[in-house]
Amino acid sequence: MKTAKSLLVAAVAALSTLAAHAQSDPGLTDKTIKLGLFGPLSGNSMAYGFDVMNAAKMYYDKVNKEGGIHGRKIELVVEDDRCNANDLLAAVKKLTEQDKVFALNGGSCSAAVVGAREYVERSQIPLVMLNASGDGALYPPSKYIYGAFSISQRAVGGSMVQFAAEHLKAKKIGYINHDDAYGGWNLEAAEFQAKKLGVDLQVQSVAPNLTDVTAPMLKIRAANPDVLLITTYARPVSLLVKKAQELGWTKPIVIAVNGTADLKQLVENVGNKDAFKNVYLQEVMTDVAGGPKLKWVYDMYKAYYPELAAKPGYPQTYMPYGIPSAMTVVNALKAAGPQLTREKFLTALSQTKFESNVMAGPIELTPTDHAGQKSAIYLKFDGEKMAVVPGAYRSLWTYQPK
Amino acid sequence: MSFSEIWLFLQQGLLSGLVTGSVYALLAIAIVAIFKTTDVPNFAQGEIFMIAGYVALSLLLIAGWSYALVIPVTVVAVAVGAALFQRVVMERVTHSKGVGPQLVIATLGLAYALKGLVRQTGLGDTPRSLPSLVSNDPVIIGDAFLTRLDVAIFLTSIAAMVLIYLMFSHTRIGKAMRAVGMNPRAAQIVGIRLSRIRMLVWAMAGLISALAALLITPKILITPDIAHIAILAYAAAIVGGFTSLPGAVLGGLIIGIVENLVGLFISTNAIVVAPFLAILVTLIVRPQGILGGKPQVKKV
Repeated sequence: MKTAKSLLVAAVAALSTLAAHAQSDPGLTDKTIKLGLFGPLSGNSMAYGFDVMNAAKMYYDKVNKEGGIHGRKIELVVEDDRCNANDLLAAVKKLTEQDKVFALNGGSCSAAVVGAREYVERSQIPLVMLNASGDGALYPPSKYIYGAFSISQRAVGGSMVQFAAEHLKAKKIGYINHDDAYGGWNLEAAEFQAKKLGVDLQVQSVAPNLTDVTAPMLKIRAANPDVLLITTYARPVSLLVKKAQELGWTKPIVIAVNGTADLKQLVENVGNKDAFKNVYLQEVMTDVAGGPKLKWVYDMYKAYYPELAAKPGYPQTYMPYGIPSAMTVVNALKAAGPQLTREKFLTALSQTKFESNVMAGPIELTPTDHAGQKSAIYLKFDGEKMAVVPGAYRSLWTYQPK
Repeated sequence: MSFSEIWLFLQQGLLSGLVTGSVYALLAIAIVAIFKTTDVPNFAQGEIFMIAGYVALSLLLIAGWSYALVIPVTVVAVAVGAALFQRVVMERVTHSKGVGPQLVIATLGLAYALKGLVRQTGLGDTPRSLPSLVSNDPVIIGDAFLTRLDVAIFLTSIAAMVLIYLMFSHTRIGKAMRAVGMNPRAAQIVGIRLSRIRMLVWAMAGLISALAALLITPKILITPDIAHIAILAYAAAIVGGFTSLPGAVLGGLIIGIVENLVGLFISTNAIVVAPFLAILVTLIVRPQGILGGKPQVKKV
């Protein structure tokens, strides 16, 4: 009798635990899934995320209009993080604790989003980044964080070496990066790729605020590589391209996506179109902005935001980056099934693989690698016009647990 | 590294260092002049340099003025702005029994205000360049490459330094500035108006900063963060001697050359560290700087 009573109590306890667990994940109702969308809606870094968020919003809206996900509509709670670590953490805390969202979809600036890693892990809330590369939050992988849907910093370096060796037939590659964390990350994958391909990498690392680039450029020239890869930010890129021309450099120069946000200004800053006679640009989308392969994204933007699209400077450069991130969330929500839980959503995220038709390569997530996109295309740029070089070039670096 | 490479690196490091060093020297002169006459290290020096670049950029690209107008207007505007800051802010802090730290904080306040002002304009979002008045055609000296712009920067800086020297040694205002620098109370007793001279020194610092900005920004580009160049000017002032104007010139040239040689012979990573190492070595070996004279002992 006593045993039967104990069994009954245990069964009731187990059932109530199960029921409680099924209802325990916040942000879910029978009709809605509440997501927290955040990025820079104001401040100096607004250009990195304002339209990226608009792109994500229009994609979620499209999904809702098509019937939602297993009968549930996506409900967005939007916050401004100003690309600032403190504001971003405040936004994440508000969305998690006050708005009680099911999952977070946000972060356009890596340095800011990395600061939220500890809180996200403690709160056990899924975070799917918007367009931040966010290597610092992705490696070593956290169960709750996925990102790099544009490209990770590591993939920036690896893909460039692949392009230099495969397309430009380089045997010796000059490589100028920053001596900060970003530079270290892209160099790590570049060295890995160079070793795999058997090419020699001559590296010069410089500070982001360097004013005189004579020394690094002269040392690169002295090493006599077949091609020069530059993975620095916009200002050092301008200085290096200018200095290369002053020193009579005529071999190919490949500029990473980090330094190409404003090409018109780059050309103005260099001050001489002759400096672009042999220059290639890295691009992480499948086509040039506004090109035929991306027409559907720009048409969709015009349809959703006609007033904004009519303004000069819109859509912003990074607008399409919001789509693959939102697609990833939607695909994982679908794969998680109607009995949605955060655990099921996270499992589905770790098995994501699809073509976004926005980015240069497929979006692929695994349990051990949470960076979504690792390929880039390359554009021949003469200072005015761009021509796509056929093919996409993929970084081979993968995270190896130590 | 082959001998020919070492020889090339030496020549290039020396010449490129002299070019950038001459601009550091100009800014160091501005820092030292203000310090000598007001006892305040001006932590807004870099931002005054930066704002001068943006004033010129706005007049050229937005207002569409010609360089013939932009140069004098920028120089005068920045000089007047700096003088007004001394008159309106620094003078008041001094009169309200403000002590050193309060004056230093006031210069820090100016630095943040100027940086914020530029960011508000939207011009500060991307690195920009002032169109160069001189071409970038190469000038080959020995085995080293410079551009005509480099040569123009160096020669103009040297000419400006000569003019500053002549002003200090041959004009009444220059002599009054030196007197205030040596002994403000004695200068006041002989009829020199301290507030006027200090205002003029700030105006001169503004003028020099504007000149430096007009010279170097076509070469190094401009962003709101370019003010960090003042750190190199501070290094130049400390190495040369914080109370010596010729020391500031010497320090500037040394820092420019050291930066390049360290980058070429040691590591490009070490370029930004080199000025701080130079400061450390100077403070250990000769704390008053190379031309700082004898160490001062204050009687209490």
